[in-house]
Amino acid sequence: MGLVVRTAMRGMRLLGLLLVLGWVVFPVYLMVKISLSPPEAVLRPVPEIGLHRITLEHWRRLLSSGGLYPPLIKSLTVAGLTVLLSLLIGVPSAYAIARLPRNWSYRLSVAMFLSRMLPEVVIALPIAVIFIRLNLLDTVMGLVFAHTVKALPVACWLLIGVFRSIPRDLEEQASVDGATTWQILFRIVIPLSLGGIAVAGVFAYLLSWDEFTYAIYLCLAKPTLPLKVYYYVNRGDWFLTSAYAVVTTLPVIVLTYVLHLFLREDVFAGSLKE
Amino acid sequence: METVDRLLKKNRFELVLLLPLFLYFLVFVALPFLYNLLLSFSPASGSLGLTAYREVFSDPRFGSAVVNTLVISAVSLALELFLGLGLAMWIFKARGRWARIWRLAFILPLGVPGIVSAANMRYIFDVHGYLNAILQRIGLLKGVVDWMGGGWPSLLAIAVADTWKVTPLVMLVLLAGLKSIPKELYDSARIDGADAWQEFFYITLPLLRRFITMAIIIRGIDAFRIFELPLALAGNNIPVLSTYAYFEYAQYDSPATSAVAGLVLGVMVLVFVLGYIKVMGEG
Repeated sequence: MGLVVRTAMRGMRLLGLLLVLGWVVFPVYLMVKISLSPPEAVLRPVPEIGLHRITLEHWRRLLSSGGLYPPLIKSLTVAGLTVLLSLLIGVPSAYAIARLPRNWSYRLSVAMFLSRMLPEVVIALPIAVIFIRLNLLDTVMGLVFAHTVKALPVACWLLIGVFRSIPRDLEEQASVDGATTWQILFRIVIPLSLGGIAVAGVFAYLLSWDEFTYAIYLCLAKPTLPLKVYYYVNRGDWFLTSAYAVVTTLPVIVLTYVLHLFLREDVFAGSLKE
Repeated sequence: METVDRLLKKNRFELVLLLPLFLYFLVFVALPFLYNLLLSFSPASGSLGLTAYREVFSDPRFGSAVVNTLVISAVSLALELFLGLGLAMWIFKARGRWARIWRLAFILPLGVPGIVSAANMRYIFDVHGYLNAILQRIGLLKGVVDWMGGGWPSLLAIAVADTWKVTPLVMLVLLAGLKSIPKELYDSARIDGADAWQEFFYITLPLLRRFITMAIIIRGIDAFRIFELPLALAGNNIPVLSTYAYFEYAQYDSPATSAVAGLVLGVMVLVFVLGYIKVMGEG
């Protein structure tokens, strides 16, 4: 009796889990499917769920319209420069925070976290109003500055954890041997932390690549890829929406899985555990 | 202050390193915030005043934006915690290779940009979309439901769409929490004859509290600020505070009222975080 009940319970749980799995995968499947489906399979009172017919028409349209490359290049440039700026500011700051007395480093971490409480629209609006006056709308650097607001705290948290894990003895030994604090930073700490710094960089890249709110405030004629997706959502063009969505998603999914194959979930909790 | 004095003396090197970070936050967070505050007092009209505040607070669309934001946040937060905890416990129990496989499967939405997940949800919640198609196929529905027509179905749909994107994050935070619980506690509970429910309520939940608090605060902040999902799913039909602020600026060319709405949102987030910390009594 007990065994039957237990097996039934286990079966129910597995069924529930498979349902959740279906729910997780289905929207992504739909995105790919619609980008490959002929209109008559999708635009009808009851759309087909399976992928019975395949067409490359929408992809041909995407590639031949010439609308893909400018946003792609802008997204790539903005994300790359956001990584650069975030690390340039984040690495020394995080190292400093990691070395400060505990109570101060805790206070600074909390302060950075609190900056997240400010809604993006509160920061985006004044920046947009000022950028209009300075003629900075649509510029790459304008968007990089805004994206760094988002990426910098995240990069810092990750990096604080990375720098804390370097044994202080090592630094003390070096300073006994006569190394200056700058030498210790550039010759010992940074070379030992390259892996962690790369992870922080990838996170900054993902944040910038996905970012939508600042982008919609700060771009008019030169959209990024997420804005391009939104543009076709608004036009009601399901097929170009899905094709652009696939283009926008592909690099992020790959990077996300690469990160998660290497990282444990502590990374997400770690910096706040104190 | 004495401590500040000591900090300045002993940690000059660290403070120099922190300077760029400090300047960056000053220029790109603090100053915009202050300028937003100034904008809310309608400097464009020539004199500072409360016109924009009066205008916003008497706008019925603003009222529904506040209600929509609260409802969507509450529903999505509840769904995400419930699902996130369930999945985290499943993965935690699975162990070994299966734990890795399940984990990698469930984090798929983490790799989908917000606006893309919004676009995908549109395929699902459209009148002629895939949710209605599935419901008809399995016989639960005869006609169609206009999910984005407004009212409760729309709010629910947006909350569900948000849950899709964010549950993995909650799951990962809670999984980290589960891994931090010492196994000996469960062993000794089992020796004392505790059943699974008692283990859950007397060991798992209390020891997860810090992680649940963290998940609620991180997620709560983001839930209140939800933007691209309602924007792409429902546009101006179902305003939340962020999209209300956006439309005031971008469509009605009114930075002042947009600034007011943004500030109200900021205050709501602040009240939520401080209130939650106060009620739960955690420093």
